[in-house]
Amino acid sequence: MTVRPPTLRDKRRYLVVRVDPPGTPVDQKELYYAIADAITALYGDVAAAVMIQAVVAAEGDYVFIRCRRGTERELATALSTITSLRDTRIAVRIIAASGTLESLRERIRAIPLPSLPEGENPDVLFDKKVFTPVYGNGQKIDVIEKGFKNTHRYFLISEDLEST
Amino acid sequence: MKITDAAVFPYPNGDTSVRRFALEAGALGFDSLVAIDTPAATYGDVEVKSGILFHDLPVKDIINRMKRFRGTDAVISVKAGDGGFNRAVIGMKGMHVLRCVHAADKNAFDHVSAKMAADNAVAVDIDLSVITRSRGVARQRAMVRYRDILVLEQHYEFPLTLSTYARSVLDLRAVREFSGLCSLLDMDLAVVEKALGGIGAVTTPPVPAVREVS
Repeated sequence: MTVRPPTLRDKRRYLVVRVDPPGTPVDQKELYYAIADAITALYGDVAAAVMIQAVVAAEGDYVFIRCRRGTERELATALSTITSLRDTRIAVRIIAASGTLESLRERIRAIPLPSLPEGENPDVLFDKKVFTPVYGNGQKIDVIEKGFKNTHRYFLISEDLEST
Repeated sequence: MKITDAAVFPYPNGDTSVRRFALEAGALGFDSLVAIDTPAATYGDVEVKSGILFHDLPVKDIINRMKRFRGTDAVISVKAGDGGFNRAVIGMKGMHVLRCVHAADKNAFDHVSAKMAADNAVAVDIDLSVITRSRGVARQRAMVRYRDILVLEQHYEFPLTLSTYARSVLDLRAVREFSGLCSLLDMDLAVVEKALGGIGAVTTPPVPAVREVS
């Protein structure tokens, strides 16, 4: 099939979103199905067919989502109803919308990469319990309670931590 | 007008400390939060108001417990029950917000309750977590109830509040997402803005009808 000339193609818009909590492994296909499910549940199949959403790329914590121009608002609302990916709790934060992927890439390039400092990250004390830090960005610190089988993440800031 | 999320549940009720909630809420565009069972404080630019939520208690017990918080800055809210219960709590002095109306009986919040809420400056809370977390019939029912409340609000003009009921930062939503979710209920921007400032409206003492001039 030959490619349509630009004037006959659908106009598209791209959204860049951040998947929280940071460090969550994002499988594009799983996220696509989560978004499709959210749109269908909220607006129905007819609106979903109009939106023709697609997950274009996932780069670190950022994901690029495509939709038909004029449906960004509905897509953004549907994205805010996504609360989990498989069994992992997530939140999808919309960063920006644009007509080209390149401008969105420029936008996320300007955001500094957060991470814990290199080397050993010592355990921290909060509410008289010992936690292991898993993520840090400025004041923010995400921790997991130390112990067998503990995977629940707690969201704190450095001021919450008790001195050992 | 302060843009407020009318209910969050910090640690130990949730997995996020109140300071982290304040930090994230500020980044998402909020000026203040109502944190349930948490002392009032200000972290950075975000004001955290103390919130008290009474649920599954008889009216008599609520009256007794409410006395303790009268005169404080705490935002006092009660989970809605049947029609008689709602009318009783709306009429109480010091009551600020009626919550979970979507989960109450179909006729639990009627035109009489709406008129009373408007007269006593008691807000009705719209819990957006029902729209974000539930699916199918549960969400449809909640949306029907909220639309019904909005019809009464247009007529009687009682205050509204919007809340996420967040127990984690992952449950928080940005102000823009609030307006997107409210658009599903046919709330226009003016109503959303008014509802975001609803906590300020119900906690600010009313202007006296008669002013003493010396």
